Amino acid sequence: MTDTPDPTASTEPASSEPSPAPPAAAPAATTPDTGSNGWQKLPSRAVLLCTIDVSLSLAIVFAIAGVVLGVLTVGSWVGIASGLSGALLGAGIGTWIGLRRYRNTLWRLDAHGFAVRRGVAWQRETLVPLTRVQHLDLKHGPLQRLRGLATLVVHTAGTRHNAVSIDHLDAQDAERLRERLGRQLDHDEDA
Amino acid sequence: MSAPGSTVSPDDESTRADRRLHPMSWLFVLIQQLKQFIVPLAALVFFGRGDRNELWPLIGVGALVLVALWRYFTYRYGIGSNAVVVRSGLFNRSLRVIPFVRIQNVALHQTVLHRLFGVAEVRMESAGSKEPEAQMRVLKLDDALALEALVRRRGAAVAEGQAEDSADVLLRLPPAEVLRLGLVSNGGLVLIGAALAGLSQYTPDFNARVPGRIGSQATHWLSGHVQAYHLDAIGVALIAMALIALIAGLLKLLSIVLALLRYYGFELSEHGRRLTAERGLLGRWRTTVPRRRIQAWTLEEGLMHRLLGRRGLSVDTVGAEANEDGRSLKELAPIATPQACDALIERLLPRADWDRLEWRALPDATWWRLFLPDVPWALLAVFSLYWQVGAWSALALLWLPWAAFKAQRRTRRIGYAIGEVLIAVREGWWRRSWRFAELDKLQALQLTRSPLDRRCGTATLWLDTAGAGALAPPLRIRFLPENEARQIYARLAAILSQRPLRW
Repeated sequence: MTDTPDPTASTEPASSEPSPAPPAAAPAATTPDTGSNGWQKLPSRAVLLCTIDVSLSLAIVFAIAGVVLGVLTVGSWVGIASGLSGALLGAGIGTWIGLRRYRNTLWRLDAHGFAVRRGVAWQRETLVPLTRVQHLDLKHGPLQRLRGLATLVVHTAGTRHNAVSIDHLDAQDAERLRERLGRQLDHDEDA
Repeated sequence: MSAPGSTVSPDDESTRADRRLHPMSWLFVLIQQLKQFIVPLAALVFFGRGDRNELWPLIGVGALVLVALWRYFTYRYGIGSNAVVVRSGLFNRSLRVIPFVRIQNVALHQTVLHRLFGVAEVRMESAGSKEPEAQMRVLKLDDALALEALVRRRGAAVAEGQAEDSADVLLRLPPAEVLRLGLVSNGGLVLIGAALAGLSQYTPDFNARVPGRIGSQATHWLSGHVQAYHLDAIGVALIAMALIALIAGLLKLLSIVLALLRYYGFELSEHGRRLTAERGLLGRWRTTVPRRRIQAWTLEEGLMHRLLGRRGLSVDTVGAEANEDGRSLKELAPIATPQACDALIERLLPRADWDRLEWRALPDATWWRLFLPDVPWALLAVFSLYWQVGAWSALALLWLPWAAFKAQRRTRRIGYAIGEVLIAVREGWWRRSWRFAELDKLQALQLTRSPLDRRCGTATLWLDTAGAGALAPPLRIRFLPENEARQIYARLAAILSQRPLRW
């Protein structure tokens, strides 16, 4: 529990606090949908990882399209040039998409459960009640390890939303989340 | 749920694993293995011909017989005070102790051959696993029924401390009803479709050749006759319609036969807290599931249903969802009158007040939002038909008024209800469905908003339950006003966080 420089550190104590206090406050808190009431952003270190996959794939697609277009219309030299500019364009668009995606990915842990909000045009907010968590996965990819990030997957017994995952969480937040959500599992077993 | 006595130390139970399977069980194990090894055996038959040795397949079958006998001699089961014990294997021994409380589903299956020998196959399933916990192939029918009753009684006794064991018959389908079920169902179509799909998978060029050949021969034959009779356009159209009617009639007939085979003598009964369904004409299926294992309910009423004044009630259970026919209890009432369905729901969900639910309409469900998805399809049909029939393809646009009419009817019927125990969604007009689940059985909530939703200030609330099939109508409330959706979402979240998940 060392303090990290990201904004999540200040709000974390409130959310890691166990059940008794929030139930009354929580419904009120959910009604205004914007604002930072409990909703946490991904750490700023995650921006690169959020954007890199979209921009890379878009850059490749646009580059190929550019090369094909250039070669077919003028010649091979123009093809290379248009391919390069296509790659730049693709990377730009990808970065824009990734940034918007990064900004619109939020998560929250309150007395009711773990919620993830994502999506830019099609927005979805998924909530897994604490009592419905079946098991948890914590994944660290190589790039994520470099930047101290992790992917958390919360599994339920449901069908359509049986795995709610959130990419590029702060690794320590992810640890804490796993502990908090896992604690509930122990309670269930006792009950 | 887990009573202290449910954990059994294997030592004192293992001594009691003293019962054997039915002496003929090796035959059924063999049949099952033959089914599994049919491909290698066929390969032996075909390729063994090369070196003139026709013994290979026989040796293969002989080996399988030995394995089957081996299984029979090494498989023992027993009934302890709290658990079923299964011991199998000689060199690689396994001992399995399955507490009665954990056994959720007991399924008995009899094929015609089983019935000839008076035996049955027993599967016991627990909550989590996809594979059956124990599979007894095969027991004497009486033993199987006794075992099922024992599991029911012991499971109930440990869980509730009392065992009321009077079997109440909740629903019984007379043959006339089964015929109606056949009329309603599309079993024939599904079967033919599946058969065609299977054929096209196994024979790679089936898709290209066989239907083409059949089609060309049929048209040849037909056109010969048509030319012989010198029919005009109306005559050809009449013949085509007659053909379509004939095919539809044959498919319906097949559906009826299938319904008779599957559902003849359907009987749903309640033993204490467990539901038992028994059905089948030649092969018999008998499944037993605790009532609380039901995750979500679907009440459906198609056009045929409505004409016959019937509905169908089905449920989702968890566990063996392998889509294997008859393994899990899916249909509580394959077909029944609306009153019977309501009575059944009332009986099985006594606290839910199914009859007195307050259905709320969705004022923001404007008809054009249901109509919109049809527009691209109609346009696509126009474009693709244009190459075939020219300007006549514009006739496909006639679909749009019908779609609009349908959308209007649907918006009028769409609605939802939240009771103390139950959440229910009602949708559809042509084909109506009611989908509902107990609040305790919800697993996750999702609120989605499409760009159109945001423009109209609405949201869709998805409620996830366990064991829902891909074909079942989803449990979701569309076109909710956003603040109402958020209120329900928050309310459900609060309720769910209070109630632990009980399987």
